[in-house]
Amino acid sequence: MTANKIFRAALIWGGILAVLIGVVGGFIGYTVDGTVGLTSALIGAVVGAAFLSITAGSILFANRYSESEMFVTIFFGVVLGGWLLKFVLFLVLAISLRDQPWINPLILFVSVIAAAVATLIVDAIIVMKGRVAYVAPVEPSESAESAS
Amino acid sequence: MDPIILAEVTGNLNTVGYGLAAIGPGIGIGIVAGKTVEAMARQPELAGRLQVTMFLGIAFTELLAFIGVALFFLN
Repeated sequence: MTANKIFRAALIWGGILAVLIGVVGGFIGYTVDGTVGLTSALIGAVVGAAFLSITAGSILFANRYSESEMFVTIFFGVVLGGWLLKFVLFLVLAISLRDQPWINPLILFVSVIAAAVATLIVDAIIVMKGRVAYVAPVEPSESAESAS
Repeated sequence: MDPIILAEVTGNLNTVGYGLAAIGPGIGIGIVAGKTVEAMARQPELAGRLQVTMFLGIAFTELLAFIGVALFFLN
């Protein structure tokens, strides 16, 4: 699939950004609320970036089946299933983390939103700058097969 | 029952909040995915470009849901 390199770039830059936000957020969290703030900011950065990256990851995974006759069905099953699973996981995480004494909810919230928005901005930039061919190039061996 | 209280809600209001936060993104992701299916059916050779556009659509839609659910932390 021609778009795979864009999704790969989105995943890589999302990861780099998560590290950056983890460092900056961790520093701010540590100055505001000590070790509790640091932990909350790190968890928030990881969760925010990881959950937005699941979309790109699921598309990449689904594109492995691009040769299949059921590609469209598999693609939407994997992508939308991943989306649903992600929210269930996030809800479970939110419920289990909320009342923990080693979590500062405000710092966690700000960190999650910052990571999610930053990942979205990076995704948008990558998609705008990424060039995808209008028509998927056909390998010579494939065209020979279809001609015969 | 206290006659002054006209309506009483028991339980966790956050659950109602999550329900409300799920409506918009649910409709949004349905439209994004549905329109992409339609476009891929019309022009299968454009699937790569359509996937990229859909990816951006999903990212924007889910951010909305994400903020709605993340508000659960604040209370």
